[in-house]
Amino acid sequence: MKRLVLAIVAAVLTLGAFLGFDHAAGLFTQKLSPEKQIIHALNRLTFGLRPGNVEEVQRIGLAKWIELQLHPDQIPENPVLDAKLKPLETLRMSMTNIVKEYTPQQQGMMAAAPPLLNSLLSQDQLRIVMTGTAEERSEVLKSLSADKRKDVLAGLPQNVLAYTPDFKEEAAEAQKMRQQEMQMENRRRNPQLPDLLNQDQINAARSGNKDQMAALFAYLDPDKRAVVASLLPPASLADFPELRRAAAFKRTPRQVASDDLKQAKIYRAIYSNRQLEEVLVDFWYNHFNVDQDKNTAQVQNLEHLLIGNYERDVIRPYVLGHFKDLLLATARHPAMLYYLDNWQSISPVDLQVGPFAPRRGNFNGQANAILPGPFDRIAHGLNENYGREVMELHTLGVNGGYTQDDVIAVARCFTGWTVTNPDNPQFVFAPFMHDFGEKTVLGHKIRAGGGEQDGLQVIDILAHHPSTAKFISKELAQRFVADDPPQTLVDRMAQTFTKTDGDLRAVLQSMFASPEFFSEGAWQSKIKSPVEMVVSAVRAVNGDTTDTYALVQKVSDLGEPLYGKLEPTGYSNNGETWLSTAAVLGRMNFATALVSGLIPGVKPDFASLAGKDAAAIGRQLLGRDVSEQTAAAINQGIQNRNATAPFIGSLVLVSPDFQRR
Amino acid sequence: MLTRRVFLRGSAIVMAGMGVAPAWLGRAAAAQSKQRKTLVAIFMRGAADGLNIVVPFGDKNYRELRPTLAIAPPSGQANPNGGPFPVNGGGIDLDGTFALNGAMQPLKSLWDKQQLAIVEATGSPDPSRSHFDAQDSMESGTPGKTTGDGWLNRALPAVGDASTVLRAVALGNQLPRCLRGGHDAIAVNNLQQFNVGDQEAVAIMQNMYSMTTDASLGRTGKDAFEAMKLIRSIQNVGPGVPPVVGGPAGIPQFAQAAEFGRNLQQLARLLKAEVGVEVAFADIGGWDHHGNENQLLPNLLRQFASGIAAFFQEMGDRMEDIVLVTMSEFGRTVQENGNGGTDHGHGSFMMVIGGRVQGGKIYGKWPGLEKEQLFEGRDLAVTTDYRDVLSELVRDHLGQKDVSLVFPGFHPGQPLGLLHV
Repeated sequence: MKRLVLAIVAAVLTLGAFLGFDHAAGLFTQKLSPEKQIIHALNRLTFGLRPGNVEEVQRIGLAKWIELQLHPDQIPENPVLDAKLKPLETLRMSMTNIVKEYTPQQQGMMAAAPPLLNSLLSQDQLRIVMTGTAEERSEVLKSLSADKRKDVLAGLPQNVLAYTPDFKEEAAEAQKMRQQEMQMENRRRNPQLPDLLNQDQINAARSGNKDQMAALFAYLDPDKRAVVASLLPPASLADFPELRRAAAFKRTPRQVASDDLKQAKIYRAIYSNRQLEEVLVDFWYNHFNVDQDKNTAQVQNLEHLLIGNYERDVIRPYVLGHFKDLLLATARHPAMLYYLDNWQSISPVDLQVGPFAPRRGNFNGQANAILPGPFDRIAHGLNENYGREVMELHTLGVNGGYTQDDVIAVARCFTGWTVTNPDNPQFVFAPFMHDFGEKTVLGHKIRAGGGEQDGLQVIDILAHHPSTAKFISKELAQRFVADDPPQTLVDRMAQTFTKTDGDLRAVLQSMFASPEFFSEGAWQSKIKSPVEMVVSAVRAVNGDTTDTYALVQKVSDLGEPLYGKLEPTGYSNNGETWLSTAAVLGRMNFATALVSGLIPGVKPDFASLAGKDAAAIGRQLLGRDVSEQTAAAINQGIQNRNATAPFIGSLVLVSPDFQRR
Repeated sequence: MLTRRVFLRGSAIVMAGMGVAPAWLGRAAAAQSKQRKTLVAIFMRGAADGLNIVVPFGDKNYRELRPTLAIAPPSGQANPNGGPFPVNGGGIDLDGTFALNGAMQPLKSLWDKQQLAIVEATGSPDPSRSHFDAQDSMESGTPGKTTGDGWLNRALPAVGDASTVLRAVALGNQLPRCLRGGHDAIAVNNLQQFNVGDQEAVAIMQNMYSMTTDASLGRTGKDAFEAMKLIRSIQNVGPGVPPVVGGPAGIPQFAQAAEFGRNLQQLARLLKAEVGVEVAFADIGGWDHHGNENQLLPNLLRQFASGIAAFFQEMGDRMEDIVLVTMSEFGRTVQENGNGGTDHGHGSFMMVIGGRVQGGKIYGKWPGLEKEQLFEGRDLAVTTDYRDVLSELVRDHLGQKDVSLVFPGFHPGQPLGLLHV
């Protein structure tokens, strides 16, 4: 009996699922009304509606507006934007100059260096003191002069001192004095606020209003001003962004370069008239992801200095061009060569002679071990990282039909594609690293003796592989249409890709012209990513943004640290990924803070909402009517209280309606 | 009908509204949760190099294939001068054949107390060497395939009277694939901030999310509000238990473990507050060492080991009810590559830690490192399916008898005997 019931339930569920499937597919054939089409186009091609956007599109005509967005050079840029980007110098600098000027100078030892033990004691004495018996150690220590003994005792680790109980008190005294000396020296080199300012000044700096802080900064001389600024939390300097930048430059100059890029990204997303270009730069940077925090062997934080140039000169120029050009540009840029380790991938063929031959000697108890040279790439061997990810993530996709052998072959082809040196990073082809043998990549034979040509040939093969057309089309459809885009759409886009030799503008055109794009299936189907949420909220309230530092921080708090995705996948194009309880609460808190004017550097414009009722406010912020359920909840909630326009506005920004685009 | 569960949950919300939680509520929750078992899954994202973490130092192939990367064997010799330092710093001996990477020192005491077990040569039958594919299918619990839900969600026993909204918790901003599914699961990034500042608006917002026709947002919002209220309401549970939010700084080792430590510290707080956590998840990334492995791996291992050691220290005798299991999507090549690193491999290792664990042993069959014993001639072979380890824990610790619900299509082999029964 139970089994019969289960069978019936299973049948009903299957039928329901089947009908549901049909229903979902059907939604993608239901066309949106003309009014909805405009809002949908704005939601998908921009970072969110601003007041006046809908009217602008109506005036130009939707098709014309889309075509214009696809030709950003024909759109005059927002004059306000230039002024905001001006202080962010690294945006306009060459990579060589950024590396030169934004690399920290060696300022001498950061902390006072105590004398090293091996400069105080001879080899034998040191060995005995560290590993001898208790008597032997005491002997050696007794033989030293009082001053020298003090220095030695101050530098010994605790577990060695345990073996010399006779000197316990002296050691404790010596260590205490050493600590005090070092603290004083540190204080001198790294002064804190009480060392620089009196109490009133400290109060003004920490909790004063804009005028009080301005007065204090005007009073201090430029050097002291920068030091004081560097000791204050960066968010509190929203009114003094240039001073904050100068201060950060003194302490962590490399981070200033990447901060410039992050702040610029948010400014552009909010203010640029070339919105589609910004959306595409976001998409393609994620696709060809580079993590700012990747550390290369010799240089910590080098990527911070390179990503600005990477986005400006490699990503942005090609987002509406041909895919193969974009792919080649990313393959050659030092940011990518460092990030996916190709700079140090070297032919596995033994190099027996010459300056790059590996050294042999005893290591770890092994005779004739191959020792790493002073530079890692002199150790020989292939690094598969780029070879794999260029196929799995950049072109064919994980199911695109490549094998482990292909990964190795591609890696071999790219050996020699490296960087000159971290002080002046430029692409260079290094023949001594290259594997000149014959390879087979995806069925194509790469002749021996090719050199740099090998890599170019691989780029050509990958860019024209049928799986690439499908993979890229699917990713674009995921970003612009739906998390699970209809196969009919993807196929059509892939055909355009192939026919036009990867013309990305043409692919986008075919996508925007497709019935699936302007369909009910696509309407409001995507959950906004953190950067989309934050920027769309600022755009909706027409926020006057004078500083984006805090906004960058908020985006990071919501789970999308800009330029900081560790894995080469970049951030997901799938909206559901961003859905979690932590995310929902985080967005609510952000929205309420924004509306209350608590985000430093952003002033929402509520004058335009004054006197309007809840429905009108909803319509202005969302670009359309809020859903019935949201309207009911809001109306019910504000019944018995004096709800201000900002309060209602915050409810709209927090609503489920606003989380989707 | 006013069931006890409805009453407990309902009264929690009401009490939260009054800003006060009566003592009996805490006791009732505690009584429900006495002997509640918790399974904590830790994912090491990026394919951790098992061979340099649990080191097969006896195997000569290990040293030959890793001339610069091989961890030195633990020195058996005492210092001839009688001093405290070993002559040759190396791995931490486990059983004469395997050693731990020195940076895993914080976990040594758990091994000595026989609460840490290691399973060697684990992995998935899926041969993929794509991180993201392999992670997705490992979290789905279906090798070679990614499903919409995850094994950890499916492992939850059916909802019972004592179930709370916090029964499935992920530490971090995102809900991992393994916790997505039919049961509601909560992602908590920061307990202190797991709150909506504007209390006036909370009721309205909660209403919006409960009335919306947007199924996924509605569900997530509902869970968020319920979890938030539960966390706030059990602030003053009883003497000796630190409040969930804003407690003392805690064990210093947590701080050495950076973000991973912070996540485990918050998990410990939730567990000690007895809010009903049955399964929990945290991940730690950065293991993809294609180059400079010996410079990069020790720091990461130190964070990893300190975090876990601090977690168990914090939990004290509650360890009896907790089992923590670690995994990574695959291992790395046996032979080092040209840049002092390793590339993507196959076989890996898992650790199982807890009061009930039959630890101090290495489980699994070691396949060997001779060329013909390697997978595709380059990687450690897999001799224990990772699902064997997880099914045993799910069955014996969580009490989920039907493992085919958790790992569809999987037939577990001989049990390893990881837990005292």
